Amino acid sequence: MLRFGLITVQAALAAAAAFSLGTGTLVCGAEPAERAAVDRVIDFARDVEPILAEHCYGCHGPAKRESNYRLDRRDVATAGGDFGEPAIVPGDSDASPLVQYVSGDGDIVMPPEGPPLDDAAVAILRAWVDQGAVWPDDRAGGHADALTTDHWSFQPLQRPQPPQIDDPWVANPIDAFIAARLAEADLSPSPAGDRATLIRRLYLDMHGLPPTPEEIDTFAADEGPTAYARLVERVLASPHYGERWARHWLDVVRFAETNGFETNTPRPTAWHYRDWVIESLNADLPYDRFVMHQLAGDAMGADRATGFLVGGPYDTVKSPDVALTLMQRQDELADIVNTTGTALLGLTLGCARCHNHKFDPVLQEDYYSLQAIFAGVKHGERPLPRGDEEQRRQQAAAIRAEIASVDRAVDNLEPLARVDENAPNPVRPRVNSRRNVDRFAPVEFRFLRFVALATTANFEPCIDELEVYSAEEPQRNLALAAPGISLTSSGDYPGNTKHQLVHLNDGSYGNDRSWISNTAGTGWAQIEWPQPVVADRVVWGRDRQEEFSDRLATDYRIEVALVPGAWQIVAASADRVPYESAASSEGETEEGSRAAARSELLARREKLIDALTTLEQGQRVYAGVFEQPETTHRLYRGDPMAPREPVAPDALQVISRLGLSDETPDQQRRLKLAEWIASPDNPLTARVMANRIWHYHFGTGLVDTPSDFGASGGVPSHPELLDWLACELIDSGWSLKHLHRLILLSATYQQHSTPHEAGLAVDAQTRLLWRFPPRRLEAEAIRDCMLAVTGKLDSRMGGAGFSFFEPNDNYVRVYEPKQSFGPEEWRRMIYATVVRMERDAVFGAFDAPDAGQVCPRRPRSTTPLQALNLLNSPFVLRQAELLAERLRREAGEESTAQVRRAFALALGRAPDDQELARSRSVVEQHGLETFCRAVLNLNEFLFVP
Amino acid sequence: MALASLLADERLLLGAENAVDSGGPIRPQIDPAQPYAPRTPHFAPRARNVLVIFCSGALSHVDTFDYKPELIKRHGEAMPGGELVTFQGENGALTRSPYAFRPRGECGKMTSDLLPQLGELADEMCFIHSVTSKTNTHGPGENFMSTGFTLDGFPSMGAWTSYALGSENADLPAFVAIPDPRGVPQSSQNNWGPGFLPAAFQGTAFNAERPIRHLARPGDVAAEADTAARELVNELNTRHLERFPGDTELAARIASYELAARMQLSVPEVSDLSSEPETIWRMYGADDSENKVKAGFARNCILARRLIERGVRFVQLFNGAYAMGEGVGNWDGHKKLREQYDVHGPILDQPAAALLRDLRQRGLLEETLVVFCTEFGRMPTFQKDASGRDHNPAGFTCWLAGAGVKAPFSYGATDDFGHRAVENAAVAHDFHATILHLLGLDHRRLSYYHNGIERRLTDVHGHVIHDVLA
Repeated sequence: MLRFGLITVQAALAAAAAFSLGTGTLVCGAEPAERAAVDRVIDFARDVEPILAEHCYGCHGPAKRESNYRLDRRDVATAGGDFGEPAIVPGDSDASPLVQYVSGDGDIVMPPEGPPLDDAAVAILRAWVDQGAVWPDDRAGGHADALTTDHWSFQPLQRPQPPQIDDPWVANPIDAFIAARLAEADLSPSPAGDRATLIRRLYLDMHGLPPTPEEIDTFAADEGPTAYARLVERVLASPHYGERWARHWLDVVRFAETNGFETNTPRPTAWHYRDWVIESLNADLPYDRFVMHQLAGDAMGADRATGFLVGGPYDTVKSPDVALTLMQRQDELADIVNTTGTALLGLTLGCARCHNHKFDPVLQEDYYSLQAIFAGVKHGERPLPRGDEEQRRQQAAAIRAEIASVDRAVDNLEPLARVDENAPNPVRPRVNSRRNVDRFAPVEFRFLRFVALATTANFEPCIDELEVYSAEEPQRNLALAAPGISLTSSGDYPGNTKHQLVHLNDGSYGNDRSWISNTAGTGWAQIEWPQPVVADRVVWGRDRQEEFSDRLATDYRIEVALVPGAWQIVAASADRVPYESAASSEGETEEGSRAAARSELLARREKLIDALTTLEQGQRVYAGVFEQPETTHRLYRGDPMAPREPVAPDALQVISRLGLSDETPDQQRRLKLAEWIASPDNPLTARVMANRIWHYHFGTGLVDTPSDFGASGGVPSHPELLDWLACELIDSGWSLKHLHRLILLSATYQQHSTPHEAGLAVDAQTRLLWRFPPRRLEAEAIRDCMLAVTGKLDSRMGGAGFSFFEPNDNYVRVYEPKQSFGPEEWRRMIYATVVRMERDAVFGAFDAPDAGQVCPRRPRSTTPLQALNLLNSPFVLRQAELLAERLRREAGEESTAQVRRAFALALGRAPDDQELARSRSVVEQHGLETFCRAVLNLNEFLFVP
Repeated sequence: MALASLLADERLLLGAENAVDSGGPIRPQIDPAQPYAPRTPHFAPRARNVLVIFCSGALSHVDTFDYKPELIKRHGEAMPGGELVTFQGENGALTRSPYAFRPRGECGKMTSDLLPQLGELADEMCFIHSVTSKTNTHGPGENFMSTGFTLDGFPSMGAWTSYALGSENADLPAFVAIPDPRGVPQSSQNNWGPGFLPAAFQGTAFNAERPIRHLARPGDVAAEADTAARELVNELNTRHLERFPGDTELAARIASYELAARMQLSVPEVSDLSSEPETIWRMYGADDSENKVKAGFARNCILARRLIERGVRFVQLFNGAYAMGEGVGNWDGHKKLREQYDVHGPILDQPAAALLRDLRQRGLLEETLVVFCTEFGRMPTFQKDASGRDHNPAGFTCWLAGAGVKAPFSYGATDDFGHRAVENAAVAHDFHATILHLLGLDHRRLSYYHNGIERRLTDVHGHVIHDVLA
């Protein structure tokens, strides 16, 4: 941008006169490209205020404050609006957005509609700013409004008195609030549902599993006045409660066990967080602790809980591109800030990343204050302190030693390499990406090189480690880096620290410590020893950690030399089964006894690996790694390339401040915020959680936007009830089970669900709760209920999950759904490994969240794909068969008994005559499986009654 | 300018209370029993259906449709403006396309020999040479082009469209995604996912080789048994509904079984290409026994036409898949561009050109908008020490054809080398705004409330590119 001095040109006076400014000597630039300029002292009241009033106040004045910007108040006019930038920089008009916008020099043009300011007016504003933007106190128009709000959810919690209702229907204060509101709408509550309905509702709601016929019968037979209350206690004490309600929380916090984005690679130790949620709910961990552990569990002996922080997507595709890298980091932090805001506070803080929040009292500065709280959090695994580390370490070392000895035994089965021209048919197995052995007669050499001649897809070959073993016992790897051993190669892959030549013999396996050549499909790497060595085998692989299988040398030779240049081939791919040939050919080339020995060893190895994985996954947890962060800056419009002033870690200023500084250690930052959120004085925390509990019991919250309590969120249907519940939550010592108990024991919850016209006419959505609103079960509960009804549900809790998808180790994971499921997959669906953006092929269609974004409230849609999945998927058909087996086992061969048992198991009731007759005719004409397939598709089976 | 109207857009959002009059959000009213019932657009549409051809992996604009004589002239020179570090690192010299450009169509549009048959249809095309993206990684790039957001989990363009407009065909899904015969694109189903919209609006994925999962009656279930089971479900559900009169969700589930049954007839019918005459197979290259991938893609193209013909609202046809690795099964030509594009060009060219010609000869282009896009373009330089191009989101080419589109026409331009958009730069949001506009939808108003925000396909951005409208 050009800088202008003052240009004095008399001819421009006319323009000034036209602007009716009285007697000022206004002087403008004569050439069209030049700016009008002013060389007199500008008086704010006389010269500037009229311009602002005429052109600006309409949108940025007392009545309308577009972008929270008003020009009738000095403080606001200077400090700027929602972009968080000063609008006026005294003494520098070129740097002042106000001048830029009205002059057409900025990226925004003001006014947006209507005629622009003329040159003379612009000149006056410019001169005024350049002269220091003097704005006298008597025109200052009062101070900027302090950030306050009268929005309901920010007001302090006060315990409301339940209305006095003289109605025997009222069982506890919840009912008083509900009945009072119903009365206002001329509606009355419904009586309680029957016993069978109540127990089914309770189980489906609280456990996501149906009651057994025996449990139903016992409850129906218990006519004591406390039967229901005792049932509620039993239900609350069952560990199935945690399994059911943890899934709700996982929705709210976008939990998944893969990274998302294009690679979507797994996080094999992320399940610890899921287990922590289940255990915490079952133990009724006070909700304030529940919150604090997730934000700062590393300071409170609850490491697994911090999986909350890094439960979101993480872009693992890294680049030397600075702008991309900074933006990726901003996105990670935004995910943490947003999730904290929506899950714990019911606020959409993410809106303030680029500008002050449009609806809620959250400034852009607040967003970056919160970002500073989390600026030390990075995605990743860390050791999980459990107190038995040493024991586990020793176990792991022993297993590893055993794996190594198995590997050696497998190696010894390997036939010697044949390098003569007329070697017989391929006798050695094809190369594999993990680990290959080339054995040969002991030979003495000082140089050894691996020459790749062709690779998969013709990419540059990759070797993660080249090992050369001594012929004499004990065998040792002679190639391991040591003084005097030197490496050379045909060329190294440029610009990547992961793939350097030194990694060839550094003793570290895996892609991140590997060598790649710089030529497509070919390349060689050479090891030179200071003295001759004697060896009889070479072991090499592309990626012994089995993440990558590309870049594999499929055609190669290994050569040795005692003196430079005198190469002698000791092994090559020529006598291996060709890489491209059919899979079955391996076994055919191996003699029976050797094949048997090999497969026995490999089976042993697989078991050892499983044991090691369990041990190691148990020791590590994907729950974030922490470090002391650098200074956080506010970013202009959220652009990481446009940092502005430093911002200290803090909470939301509209509520209260934390008083932290840039020096505050990472953990302290999170701990202080955690205390602030988990405080009884925070007006949002208890309200938001009480509402979530209500939401999952009734299908809709008292606020129907459970993660948005801001101005654009829903209005509470029963504001006093919500506050009463929030106070109950706090006063019970933040006991969630206390809230459940209150709700479950209320007459409101126990109402029957039959609709009537009067209710539908006034309140079709049933927000006022004139009946219990029935609803379709969620994906997980549908699947779990099927397994429960067939009797195949595996009730093992916790630990690594099962997968809905075929194993795959592509760099970009491909999630191909499994076609058949066995007992391994018959655990509750909460134990299925959650793959981001890939829903399960059968039940995903029932609005299961994809964990790309948080899901505070699942949509409940109805689609033909749902019908097809329940009718035709192999999973459901298999369950229909298993149900039929169970019916035969438990009810014998007689169709009436079979149908009765099926109704009892699946629907918790007896069939009426017509249902029985129709069902029997299907059983008798088309088989029991056909009937069972129908049962698993019934609306009644899928609905909370 | 962009920001000024950004503010204007947000003002619109504030007026949510009296939606229609103030220009505030419009949320279509969905009947749960008939989520795919046709719905009225906001204003008279120019297009009724959309066919997207998505080239996954980032198709190079400088090797296809963006002719740059200066790049040819200065081949081998350093790019002015100093060294650039892009996605994979350092860049080498400016490098002309290995494919010659020549004038094609009546309009004489310069297009390359990589896609000659598509080039011959230049008279039908409206090129937008100045599209930009917000990211230079594939997953986020595909997300951005398909959903308007780089992050995962937002509704796709097709989901927005079926949410807004429903379907014209009661027996087929409103939105079909056709994955490439080689597999799924990098962001996989996020390209056709519902995000936070109800699952009813997700794209149903199938292609000529892989039918809809769980569509067919399982082989070991006899037809009569199948019918008996369905009838029993229907009867028991109907009796159950009598106990809950007026419950729309229960009624919707009954209806969904009926639609599923109709789909079991209509989807195999539409997927059965054997009724297509030999001339059609030949025209598309579906009979190419030498090139199986091309034949597979060609069959997908025929399927796409059949879906459009039957009134499917939104068809998203993918060319390229990621699982095979960088550039092997897609357009991600980092290291060996010539070698890889020599494979990919013929797979795309004849089938896609035939699809466009076939739509035209059947009069379907009158009502169908064809959108040809990719996640971003590629650099005019080769990567340092490599024979291919790195990612370039700063300016690349997409084209539109068919209903409501000005053609032949070229809009916007990149600089002399094809590096950055310098004339009429357009973000993907503008592209989306224009597509919705052609469907009779105001991108500023079509919205869905999710977690505190009236969400839109175009976020708070986007301008209809009026210059490209016929």
